[in-house]
Amino acid sequence: MAKSPRKLAVERYLAKPLAARPGLSQRLAAALLPPLLMGVLVVIAYIWTRSGLETHRQFLMPTLEGLWTRAFSKPEVLGQLFNAAVTTLSIALAGLAISIPIGMLLGVVMFRFRVMERAIFPYLVALQSIPIPAIIPLLQSALGFGFLPKVLIVALFTFFSIPTTLLLGLKSVDRSIIDLFRLQKAGWPTMLIKAGFPSAAPTLFAGLRISAGLAVIGAIVSELFFLSGPGGLGQMLINAKIDFKYEQMYAALLVSSVLSISVYLLFSWLGNRLFSEWHESGGR
Amino acid sequence: MVDAVSMVFPDGTKALDKVTLAIKPGEFVSLIGPSGCGKSTLLRIAAGLESHTSGDVWVDRDSLGYTFQDATLLPWRKVLANVELLMELRGFDPAERRRIALEQIELVGLSGFENHYPRRLSGGMKMRASLARSLALNPAVFLFDEPFGALDEITRERLNDELIALYTVQKFTGLFVTHSIPEAVYLSTKVVVMSKRPGRIVASFDIAFPEPRSPELRYSSGFAEMCGEISLALRNAMEG
Ligand SMILES: Nc1ncnc2c1ncn2[C@@H]1O[C@H](COP(=O)(O)OP(=O)(O)O)[C@@H](O)[C@H]1O
Ligand SMILES: [Mg+2]
Repeated sequence: MAKSPRKLAVERYLAKPLAARPGLSQRLAAALLPPLLMGVLVVIAYIWTRSGLETHRQFLMPTLEGLWTRAFSKPEVLGQLFNAAVTTLSIALAGLAISIPIGMLLGVVMFRFRVMERAIFPYLVALQSIPIPAIIPLLQSALGFGFLPKVLIVALFTFFSIPTTLLLGLKSVDRSIIDLFRLQKAGWPTMLIKAGFPSAAPTLFAGLRISAGLAVIGAIVSELFFLSGPGGLGQMLINAKIDFKYEQMYAALLVSSVLSISVYLLFSWLGNRLFSEWHESGGR
Repeated sequence: MVDAVSMVFPDGTKALDKVTLAIKPGEFVSLIGPSGCGKSTLLRIAAGLESHTSGDVWVDRDSLGYTFQDATLLPWRKVLANVELLMELRGFDPAERRRIALEQIELVGLSGFENHYPRRLSGGMKMRASLARSLALNPAVFLFDEPFGALDEITRERLNDELIALYTVQKFTGLFVTHSIPEAVYLSTKVVVMSKRPGRIVASFDIAFPEPRSPELRYSSGFAEMCGEISLALRNAMEG
Protein backbone atom coordinates (compact mmCIF):
# COMPACT_ATOMS: atom_id res chain seq x y z
CA MET A 1 0.00 0.00 0.00
CA ALA A 2 1.41 3.35 -0.98
CA LYS A 3 1.81 5.70 1.93
CA SER A 4 -0.32 8.77 1.66
CA PRO A 5 1.62 11.94 2.53
CA ARG A 6 1.32 12.80 6.18
CA LYS A 7 -0.90 15.63 7.06
CA LEU A 8 1.07 18.65 8.18
CA ALA A 9 -0.06 21.14 10.75
CA VAL A 10 1.32 24.22 9.09
CA GLU A 11 1.55 27.25 11.29
CA ARG A 12 2.05 30.84 10.34
CA TYR A 13 4.89 32.66 12.05
CA LEU A 14 4.37 36.36 12.23
CA ALA A 15 7.16 38.72 11.35
CA LYS A 16 8.54 40.70 14.25
CA PRO A 17 9.63 44.13 13.05
CA LEU A 18 12.57 45.65 14.84
CA ALA A 19 11.17 47.63 17.74
CA ALA A 20 12.25 51.23 18.04
CA ARG A 21 14.98 51.66 20.63
CA PRO A 22 13.29 52.72 23.87
CA GLY A 23 14.00 56.28 24.93
CA LEU A 24 16.36 57.18 27.76
CA SER A 25 13.59 57.70 30.31
CA GLN A 26 12.07 54.34 29.43
CA ARG A 27 15.40 52.58 29.77
CA LEU A 28 16.10 54.31 33.07
CA ALA A 29 12.70 53.29 34.34
CA ALA A 30 13.27 49.69 33.26
CA ALA A 31 16.63 49.64 35.03
CA LEU A 32 15.70 51.51 38.20
CA LEU A 33 12.07 50.70 38.86
CA PRO A 34 12.48 47.04 39.93
CA PRO A 35 15.17 47.72 42.56
CA LEU A 36 13.29 50.82 43.75
CA LEU A 37 10.06 48.91 44.20
CA MET A 38 11.96 46.16 45.99
CA GLY A 39 13.48 48.80 48.25
CA VAL A 40 10.04 50.16 49.11
CA LEU A 41 8.92 46.61 49.94
CA VAL A 42 11.90 46.15 52.24
CA VAL A 43 11.16 49.43 54.03
CA ILE A 44 7.51 48.42 54.48
CA ALA A 45 8.60 45.02 55.84
CA TYR A 46 10.97 46.84 58.21
CA ILE A 47 8.28 49.16 59.53
CA TRP A 48 5.85 46.27 59.87
CA THR A 49 8.36 44.15 61.80
CA ARG A 50 9.14 47.11 64.05
CA SER A 51 5.50 47.73 64.83
CA GLY A 52 5.26 44.08 65.91
CA LEU A 53 8.00 44.55 68.52
CA GLU A 54 7.17 45.25 72.15
CA THR A 55 7.65 48.95 72.85
CA HIS A 56 10.64 48.50 75.15
CA ARG A 57 12.46 46.59 72.40
CA GLN A 58 11.68 49.00 69.58
CA PHE A 59 14.99 50.77 70.10
CA LEU A 60 16.57 47.80 68.25
CA MET A 61 15.04 49.06 65.04
CA PRO A 62 15.29 52.84 64.82
CA THR A 63 12.72 54.69 62.78
CA LEU A 64 13.64 56.29 59.50
CA GLU A 65 13.22 59.78 60.87
CA GLY A 66 15.33 58.80 63.87
CA LEU A 67 18.02 57.62 61.48
CA TRP A 68 17.81 61.01 59.82
CA THR A 69 17.55 63.29 62.86
CA ARG A 70 20.07 61.45 65.01
CA ALA A 71 22.59 60.35 62.42
CA PHE A 72 22.55 61.46 58.82
CA SER A 73 21.47 65.05 59.43
CA LYS A 74 24.09 65.69 62.13
CA PRO A 75 27.34 67.11 60.77
CA GLU A 76 29.43 65.65 63.61
CA VAL A 77 28.01 62.14 63.00
CA LEU A 78 28.55 62.52 59.29
CA GLY A 79 32.13 63.61 59.92
CA GLN A 80 32.63 60.64 62.19
CA LEU A 81 31.16 58.31 59.57
CA PHE A 82 33.39 59.75 56.91
CA ASN A 83 36.55 59.44 59.00
CA ALA A 84 35.61 55.93 60.03
CA ALA A 85 34.98 54.96 56.41
CA VAL A 86 38.37 56.34 55.38
CA THR A 87 40.08 54.43 58.19
CA THR A 88 38.32 51.19 57.29
CA LEU A 89 39.02 51.68 53.62
CA SER A 90 42.70 52.31 54.26
CA ILE A 91 42.93 49.10 56.30
CA ALA A 92 41.16 47.22 53.52
CA LEU A 93 43.37 48.63 50.76
CA ALA A 94 46.58 48.13 52.74
CA GLY A 95 45.54 44.50 53.26
CA LEU A 96 44.97 44.08 49.54
CA ALA A 97 48.32 45.73 48.86
CA ILE A 98 49.87 42.86 50.80
CA SER A 99 47.74 39.96 49.63
CA ILE A 100 47.67 40.80 45.92
CA PRO A 101 51.43 40.90 45.20
CA ILE A 102 52.25 38.01 47.52
CA GLY A 103 49.33 36.00 46.18
CA MET A 104 50.38 36.64 42.60
CA LEU A 105 53.97 35.75 43.33
CA LEU A 106 52.82 32.51 44.90
CA GLY A 107 50.58 31.78 41.92
CA VAL A 108 53.50 32.24 39.54
CA VAL A 109 55.82 30.10 41.65
CA MET A 110 53.24 27.32 41.82
CA PHE A 111 52.75 27.54 38.07
CA ARG A 112 56.42 27.50 37.26
CA PHE A 113 57.38 24.67 39.58
CA ARG A 114 54.99 21.76 39.79
CA VAL A 115 56.72 20.64 42.99
CA MET A 116 55.87 23.96 44.59
CA GLU A 117 52.24 23.55 43.61
CA ARG A 118 52.15 20.14 45.26
CA ALA A 119 53.94 21.54 48.28
CA ILE A 120 51.93 24.73 48.73
CA PHE A 121 48.42 24.07 47.53
CA PRO A 122 47.27 21.87 50.44
CA TYR A 123 48.35 24.56 52.88
CA LEU A 124 46.49 27.21 50.94
CA VAL A 125 43.35 25.14 51.30
CA ALA A 126 44.11 24.61 54.98
CA LEU A 127 44.61 28.35 55.45
CA GLN A 128 41.31 28.97 53.76
CA SER A 129 39.58 26.57 56.13
CA ILE A 130 40.75 28.37 59.28
CA PRO A 131 38.03 30.69 60.58
CA ILE A 132 40.09 33.85 60.59
CA PRO A 133 38.35 35.57 63.53
CA ALA A 134 39.52 32.61 65.59
CA ILE A 135 43.18 33.54 65.12
CA ILE A 136 42.71 37.24 65.73
CA PRO A 137 43.41 36.98 69.50
CA LEU A 138 46.66 35.20 68.65
CA LEU A 139 47.62 37.95 66.23
CA GLN A 140 46.89 40.52 68.89
CA SER A 141 49.14 38.80 71.39
CA ALA A 142 51.92 38.61 68.83
CA LEU A 143 51.64 42.00 67.12
CA GLY A 144 49.81 44.25 69.51
CA PHE A 145 46.90 46.52 68.72
CA GLY A 146 48.21 48.81 66.00
CA PHE A 147 47.48 49.14 62.29
CA LEU A 148 49.62 46.20 61.20
CA PRO A 149 47.65 43.32 62.74
CA LYS A 150 44.42 44.64 61.23
CA VAL A 151 46.05 44.86 57.83
CA LEU A 152 47.33 41.32 58.21
CA ILE A 153 43.84 40.12 59.04
CA VAL A 154 42.54 41.70 55.84
CA ALA A 155 45.39 40.08 53.94
CA LEU A 156 44.40 36.70 55.36
CA PHE A 157 40.76 37.27 54.46
CA THR A 158 41.57 38.18 50.88
CA PHE A 159 44.52 35.95 50.13
CA PHE A 160 43.11 32.63 48.98
CA SER A 161 41.40 33.58 45.74
CA ILE A 162 44.44 35.39 44.33
CA PRO A 163 47.03 32.60 43.89
CA THR A 164 44.32 30.08 43.05
CA THR A 165 42.65 32.10 40.30
CA LEU A 166 46.00 33.17 38.88
CA LEU A 167 47.21 29.57 38.82
CA LEU A 168 44.01 28.45 37.13
CA GLY A 169 44.34 31.23 34.56
CA LEU A 170 47.98 30.45 33.84
CA LYS A 171 47.22 26.78 33.45
CA SER A 172 44.46 27.52 30.97
CA VAL A 173 46.67 29.33 28.47
CA ASP A 174 45.99 27.93 25.02
CA ARG A 175 48.44 25.10 24.25
CA SER A 176 49.06 26.29 20.72
CA ILE A 177 49.86 29.79 21.95
CA ILE A 178 52.57 28.25 24.09
CA ASP A 179 53.81 26.27 21.07
CA LEU A 180 53.88 29.49 19.09
CA PHE A 181 56.21 31.04 21.67
CA ARG A 182 58.31 27.89 21.93
CA LEU A 183 58.85 27.93 18.16
CA GLN A 184 60.54 31.31 18.57
CA LYS A 185 62.58 29.90 21.46
CA ALA A 186 61.03 32.38 23.88
CA GLY A 187 62.12 31.95 27.49
CA TRP A 188 59.58 31.38 30.23
CA PRO A 189 59.66 34.95 31.60
CA THR A 190 58.73 36.21 28.13
CA MET A 191 55.96 33.64 27.89
CA LEU A 192 54.71 34.58 31.33
CA ILE A 193 54.59 38.28 30.55
CA LYS A 194 53.38 38.15 26.95
CA ALA A 195 51.10 35.13 27.08
CA GLY A 196 50.51 34.04 30.68
CA PHE A 197 49.46 37.23 32.42
CA PRO A 198 47.24 38.65 29.67
CA SER A 199 45.56 35.32 29.19
CA ALA A 200 45.09 34.74 32.93
CA ALA A 201 44.04 38.32 33.68
CA PRO A 202 40.27 37.87 33.32
CA THR A 203 40.31 34.84 35.63
CA LEU A 204 42.54 36.65 38.09
CA PHE A 205 40.19 39.60 38.09
CA ALA A 206 37.28 37.38 38.98
CA GLY A 207 39.33 36.46 42.05
CA LEU A 208 40.29 40.07 42.75
CA ARG A 209 36.65 41.08 42.75
CA ILE A 210 35.88 38.51 45.41
CA SER A 211 38.91 39.60 47.43
CA ALA A 212 37.98 43.25 47.14
CA GLY A 213 34.53 42.62 48.58
CA LEU A 214 36.04 40.54 51.37
CA ALA A 215 38.64 43.20 52.16
CA VAL A 216 36.09 45.62 53.61
CA ILE A 217 34.42 42.83 55.57
CA GLY A 218 37.82 41.74 56.87
CA ALA A 219 38.68 45.29 57.91
CA ILE A 220 35.46 45.66 59.87
CA VAL A 221 35.80 42.25 61.52
CA SER A 222 39.36 43.12 62.53
CA GLU A 223 38.18 46.37 64.14
CA LEU A 224 35.58 44.60 66.22
CA PHE A 225 38.48 43.07 68.10
CA PHE A 226 40.49 46.27 68.46
CA LEU A 227 39.00 49.16 70.34
CA SER A 228 42.12 51.27 70.15
CA GLY A 229 43.73 53.38 67.47
CA PRO A 230 41.93 55.56 64.94
CA GLY A 231 38.43 54.18 64.79
CA GLY A 232 36.96 52.69 61.67
CA LEU A 233 33.41 51.64 60.97
CA GLY A 234 33.74 48.46 63.01
CA GLN A 235 34.79 50.40 66.07
CA MET A 236 31.98 52.86 65.51
CA LEU A 237 29.52 49.95 65.47
CA ILE A 238 30.72 48.71 68.84
CA ASN A 239 30.88 52.17 70.43
CA ALA A 240 27.38 52.97 69.19
CA LYS A 241 26.14 49.81 70.88
CA ILE A 242 27.89 50.65 74.14
CA ASP A 243 26.39 54.16 74.07
CA PHE A 244 22.97 52.88 73.07
CA LYS A 245 23.11 54.99 69.92
CA TYR A 246 21.36 52.52 67.65
CA GLU A 247 20.72 55.11 64.95
CA GLN A 248 24.46 55.61 64.58
CA MET A 249 25.00 51.89 64.51
CA TYR A 250 22.58 51.52 61.62
CA ALA A 251 24.24 54.41 59.87
CA ALA A 252 27.65 52.73 60.23
CA LEU A 253 26.16 49.48 58.93
CA LEU A 254 24.77 51.21 55.85
CA VAL A 255 28.07 52.95 55.16
CA SER A 256 29.96 49.63 55.54
CA SER A 257 27.83 47.98 52.95
CA VAL A 258 28.11 50.95 50.59
CA LEU A 259 31.88 50.81 51.02
CA SER A 260 32.03 47.09 50.35
CA ILE A 261 29.87 47.43 47.25
CA SER A 262 31.95 50.36 45.98
CA VAL A 263 35.20 48.45 46.23
CA TYR A 264 33.62 45.50 44.45
CA LEU A 265 32.23 47.78 41.74
CA LEU A 266 35.59 49.50 41.36
CA PHE A 267 37.30 46.22 40.56
CA SER A 268 34.45 45.13 38.27
CA TRP A 269 34.69 48.38 36.41
CA LEU A 270 38.46 48.10 36.15
CA GLY A 271 38.15 44.53 34.84
CA ASN A 272 35.58 45.62 32.30
CA ARG A 273 37.74 48.50 31.16
CA LEU A 274 40.67 46.16 30.65
CA PHE A 275 39.01 43.17 29.01
CA SER A 276 35.69 44.11 27.48
CA GLU A 277 37.18 44.69 24.06
CA TRP A 278 38.75 41.33 23.58
CA HIS A 279 37.44 38.87 26.13
CA GLU A 280 34.30 36.80 25.60
CA SER A 281 32.97 37.94 28.96
CA GLY A 282 33.26 41.55 27.82
CA GLY A 283 30.33 43.84 27.05
CA ARG A 284 28.29 43.52 23.87
CA MET B 1 64.64 16.03 5.73
CA VAL B 2 63.00 13.34 7.83
CA ASP B 3 64.58 9.88 7.83
CA ALA B 4 63.12 6.75 9.36
CA VAL B 5 61.49 8.72 12.13
CA SER B 6 59.46 6.80 14.65
CA MET B 7 57.49 8.21 17.51
CA VAL B 8 56.12 6.46 20.54
CA PHE B 9 54.34 8.62 23.09
CA PRO B 10 55.04 8.04 26.78
CA ASP B 11 51.65 6.40 27.17
CA GLY B 12 52.65 3.78 24.58
CA THR B 13 50.74 5.25 21.65
CA LYS B 14 52.76 4.46 18.57
CA ALA B 15 52.15 7.44 16.34
CA LEU B 16 54.75 7.19 13.57
CA ASP B 17 56.52 4.17 12.13
CA LYS B 18 59.77 4.82 10.24
CA VAL B 19 58.55 7.75 8.22
CA THR B 20 60.95 8.95 5.57
CA LEU B 21 60.19 12.13 3.73
CA ALA B 22 62.61 14.33 1.85
CA ILE B 23 61.52 17.72 0.65
CA LYS B 24 63.75 19.64 -1.72
CA PRO B 25 64.03 23.41 -1.48
CA GLY B 26 61.22 25.04 -3.42
CA GLU B 27 58.95 22.02 -3.26
CA PHE B 28 55.47 22.22 -1.86
CA VAL B 29 54.46 18.87 -0.45
CA SER B 30 51.04 17.99 0.88
CA LEU B 31 50.56 15.28 3.46
CA ILE B 32 47.24 13.55 3.52
CA GLY B 33 46.07 10.66 5.65
CA PRO B 34 43.34 9.36 7.92
CA SER B 35 42.55 11.37 11.00
CA GLY B 36 44.78 10.46 13.94
CA CYS B 37 47.50 8.86 11.80
CA GLY B 38 50.23 11.12 13.12
CA LYS B 39 50.34 14.01 10.65
CA SER B 40 50.36 16.69 13.30
CA THR B 41 52.88 14.69 15.28
CA LEU B 42 55.18 14.60 12.26
CA LEU B 43 54.96 18.37 11.84
CA ARG B 44 55.53 18.94 15.53
CA ILE B 45 58.64 16.76 15.40
CA ALA B 46 59.90 18.60 12.34
CA ALA B 47 59.37 21.91 14.17
CA GLY B 48 61.10 20.69 17.31
CA LEU B 49 57.97 20.92 19.43
CA GLU B 50 58.09 17.21 20.18
CA SER B 51 61.06 14.84 20.42
CA HIS B 52 60.96 11.74 18.28
CA THR B 53 61.98 8.43 19.75
CA SER B 54 64.15 7.20 16.88
CA GLY B 55 65.38 8.24 13.46
CA ASP B 56 66.88 11.46 12.16
CA VAL B 57 65.45 14.86 11.37
CA TRP B 58 67.16 17.64 9.45
CA VAL B 59 65.36 20.93 9.42
CA ASP B 60 66.55 24.52 9.41
CA ARG B 61 64.64 25.53 12.51
CA ASP B 62 65.74 29.15 12.42
CA SER B 63 63.77 30.02 9.35
CA LEU B 64 60.71 27.98 10.04
CA GLY B 65 57.14 29.12 9.63
CA TYR B 66 54.33 27.21 11.28
CA THR B 67 50.59 27.62 11.16
CA PHE B 68 48.30 25.74 13.47
CA GLN B 69 44.92 24.25 12.84
CA ASP B 70 43.30 27.27 14.43
CA ALA B 71 44.65 30.76 13.85
CA THR B 72 46.15 30.97 17.38
CA LEU B 73 45.99 34.73 17.51
CA LEU B 74 46.46 36.31 20.92
CA PRO B 75 42.94 37.54 21.69
CA TRP B 76 44.18 40.50 23.74
CA ARG B 77 46.23 41.89 20.87
CA LYS B 78 44.89 43.73 17.89
CA VAL B 79 45.67 42.39 14.43
CA LEU B 80 48.71 44.60 13.96
CA ALA B 81 50.25 43.62 17.29
CA ASN B 82 49.52 39.97 16.54
CA VAL B 83 51.31 40.16 13.23
CA GLU B 84 54.24 41.82 14.98
CA LEU B 85 54.44 39.17 17.71
CA LEU B 86 56.97 36.76 16.21
CA MET B 87 59.24 39.60 15.12
CA GLU B 88 58.96 40.99 18.63
CA LEU B 89 60.07 37.65 20.06
CA ARG B 90 62.95 37.58 17.59
CA GLY B 91 64.05 41.01 18.74
CA PHE B 92 63.35 43.02 15.60
CA ASP B 93 63.58 46.75 15.99
CA PRO B 94 60.11 48.32 16.55
CA ALA B 95 60.02 50.54 13.49
CA GLU B 96 61.20 47.68 11.30
CA ARG B 97 58.58 45.28 12.59
CA ARG B 98 55.82 47.84 12.21
CA ARG B 99 56.83 48.33 8.58
CA ILE B 100 56.99 44.61 7.81
CA ALA B 101 53.72 43.93 9.63
CA LEU B 102 51.84 46.55 7.65
CA GLU B 103 53.32 45.15 4.46
CA GLN B 104 52.24 41.60 5.30
CA ILE B 105 48.80 42.73 6.40
CA GLU B 106 48.36 44.36 3.04
CA LEU B 107 49.65 41.26 1.27
CA VAL B 108 47.02 39.04 2.90
CA GLY B 109 44.32 41.62 2.25
CA LEU B 110 43.63 42.70 5.82
CA SER B 111 44.36 46.40 5.36
CA GLY B 112 41.89 48.42 7.37
CA PHE B 113 41.60 45.75 10.06
CA GLU B 114 44.91 46.47 11.82
CA ASN B 115 43.11 47.79 14.88
CA HIS B 116 40.52 45.05 15.20
CA TYR B 117 40.63 42.50 17.96
CA PRO B 118 40.63 38.89 16.69
CA ARG B 119 37.21 38.15 18.10
CA ARG B 120 35.72 40.60 15.63
CA LEU B 121 37.24 38.83 12.61
CA SER B 122 35.72 35.99 10.60
CA GLY B 123 37.45 32.60 10.52
CA GLY B 124 39.02 33.31 7.15
CA MET B 125 40.32 36.69 8.27
CA LYS B 126 41.84 35.19 11.40
CA MET B 127 43.65 32.64 9.29
CA ARG B 128 44.95 35.40 7.03
CA ALA B 129 46.27 37.28 10.04
CA SER B 130 47.92 34.07 11.21
CA LEU B 131 49.56 33.61 7.80
CA ALA B 132 50.74 37.21 7.80
CA ARG B 133 52.28 36.69 11.23
CA SER B 134 54.34 33.71 10.01
CA LEU B 135 55.21 35.26 6.67
CA ALA B 136 56.60 38.33 8.41
CA LEU B 137 59.66 36.27 9.37
CA ASN B 138 60.12 35.38 5.71
CA PRO B 139 60.47 31.67 6.48
CA ALA B 140 62.44 29.42 4.16
CA VAL B 141 60.42 26.41 5.27
CA PHE B 142 56.74 26.63 6.04
CA LEU B 143 54.81 23.93 7.89
CA PHE B 144 51.01 24.04 7.72
CA ASP B 145 48.85 21.91 9.97
CA GLU B 146 45.42 21.82 8.32
CA PRO B 147 45.27 25.61 8.31
CA PHE B 148 42.05 25.84 6.34
CA GLY B 149 40.36 22.75 7.76
CA ALA B 150 37.83 24.69 9.78
CA LEU B 151 36.82 27.05 6.97
CA ASP B 152 33.95 26.78 4.55
CA GLU B 153 34.63 25.58 0.99
CA ILE B 154 34.36 29.02 -0.62
CA THR B 155 36.72 30.73 1.82
CA ARG B 156 39.08 27.79 1.60
CA GLU B 157 39.36 28.04 -2.19
CA ARG B 158 39.95 31.78 -1.95
CA LEU B 159 42.69 31.26 0.60
CA ASN B 160 44.23 28.52 -1.54
CA ASP B 161 44.61 31.02 -4.37
CA GLU B 162 46.01 33.61 -1.99
CA LEU B 163 48.46 31.09 -0.62
CA ILE B 164 49.66 30.32 -4.14
CA ALA B 165 50.16 34.03 -4.73
CA LEU B 166 52.16 34.31 -1.48
CA TYR B 167 54.15 31.21 -2.35
CA THR B 168 55.01 32.69 -5.73
CA VAL B 169 56.29 35.87 -4.08
CA GLN B 170 58.09 34.46 -1.05
CA LYS B 171 59.38 31.17 -2.47
CA PHE B 172 59.27 29.12 0.70
CA THR B 173 59.45 25.35 0.84
CA GLY B 174 56.15 24.00 2.08
CA LEU B 175 54.84 20.98 3.94
CA PHE B 176 51.08 21.16 4.06
CA VAL B 177 48.85 18.83 6.05
CA THR B 178 45.27 18.67 4.88
CA HIS B 179 42.35 16.30 4.67
CA SER B 180 41.10 17.80 1.43
CA ILE B 181 42.37 16.00 -1.65
CA PRO B 182 41.54 18.83 -4.13
CA GLU B 183 43.32 21.29 -1.89
CA ALA B 184 46.40 19.06 -1.77
CA VAL B 185 46.48 18.59 -5.53
CA TYR B 186 45.81 22.22 -6.26
CA LEU B 187 48.58 23.57 -4.05
CA SER B 188 51.32 21.00 -4.27
CA THR B 189 54.17 19.80 -6.36
CA LYS B 190 53.93 16.49 -4.54
CA VAL B 191 51.22 14.73 -2.53
CA VAL B 192 52.17 12.10 0.05
CA VAL B 193 49.66 9.67 1.52
CA MET B 194 50.04 8.28 5.02
CA SER B 195 48.57 5.06 6.41
CA LYS B 196 46.45 4.90 9.50
CA ARG B 197 48.24 4.80 12.84
CA PRO B 198 51.10 4.09 13.26
CA GLY B 199 51.63 6.42 10.33
CA ARG B 200 53.79 5.30 7.41
CA ILE B 201 54.17 6.84 3.98
CA VAL B 202 52.30 4.53 1.62
CA ALA B 203 52.10 6.47 -1.62
CA SER B 204 53.54 9.53 -3.25
CA PHE B 205 52.31 11.42 -6.30
CA ASP B 206 54.14 14.05 -8.29
CA ILE B 207 51.77 16.77 -9.38
CA ALA B 208 53.05 18.14 -12.65
CA PHE B 209 50.47 20.83 -13.46
CA PRO B 210 52.12 24.04 -14.60
CA GLU B 211 52.72 26.80 -12.09
CA PRO B 212 51.47 29.18 -10.97
CA ARG B 213 48.19 27.32 -10.65
CA SER B 214 45.05 29.14 -11.61
CA PRO B 215 41.44 28.42 -10.62
CA GLU B 216 40.66 26.94 -14.08
CA LEU B 217 42.82 23.98 -13.12
CA ARG B 218 40.16 22.89 -10.63
CA TYR B 219 37.72 22.22 -13.48
CA SER B 220 40.10 20.32 -15.77
CA SER B 221 39.77 16.60 -16.31
CA GLY B 222 43.45 15.99 -15.46
CA PHE B 223 42.83 17.52 -12.05
CA ALA B 224 39.82 15.31 -11.39
CA GLU B 225 41.77 12.23 -12.47
CA MET B 226 44.63 13.05 -10.12
CA CYS B 227 42.20 13.56 -7.25
CA GLY B 228 40.59 10.23 -8.05
CA GLU B 229 43.91 8.38 -7.96
CA ILE B 230 44.85 9.87 -4.62
CA SER B 231 41.40 9.18 -3.26
CA LEU B 232 41.87 5.52 -4.15
CA ALA B 233 45.32 5.41 -2.53
CA LEU B 234 43.88 7.02 0.60
CA ARG B 235 41.12 4.45 0.70
CA ASN B 236 43.64 1.63 0.50
CA ALA B 237 45.62 3.33 3.23
CA MET B 238 42.58 3.39 5.50
CA GLU B 239 41.92 -0.30 4.97
CA GLY B 240 45.47 -1.62 4.94
N1 LIG C 1 50.84 13.89 23.66
C1 LIG C 1 50.31 12.73 23.23
N2 LIG C 1 50.32 11.64 24.03
C2 LIG C 1 49.79 10.49 23.60
N3 LIG C 1 49.23 10.29 22.41
C3 LIG C 1 49.19 11.34 21.56
C4 LIG C 1 49.72 12.61 21.93
N4 LIG C 1 49.54 13.46 20.89
C5 LIG C 1 48.92 12.74 19.94
N5 LIG C 1 48.72 11.46 20.33
C6 LIG C 1 48.13 10.40 19.53
O1 LIG C 1 48.93 10.20 18.39
C7 LIG C 1 48.13 9.94 17.27
C8 LIG C 1 48.47 10.89 16.17
O2 LIG C 1 48.01 12.19 16.49
P1 LIG C 1 48.09 13.39 15.45
O3 LIG C 1 49.47 13.50 14.97
O4 LIG C 1 47.51 14.57 16.11
O5 LIG C 1 47.13 12.89 14.29
P2 LIG C 1 46.62 13.67 13.00
O6 LIG C 1 47.12 12.85 11.83
O7 LIG C 1 45.13 13.63 13.03
O8 LIG C 1 47.16 15.03 13.01
C9 LIG C 1 46.69 10.05 17.71
O9 LIG C 1 46.17 8.75 17.89
C10 LIG C 1 46.76 10.78 19.01
O10 LIG C 1 45.75 10.33 19.87
MG1 LIG D 1 46.13 16.91 13.28
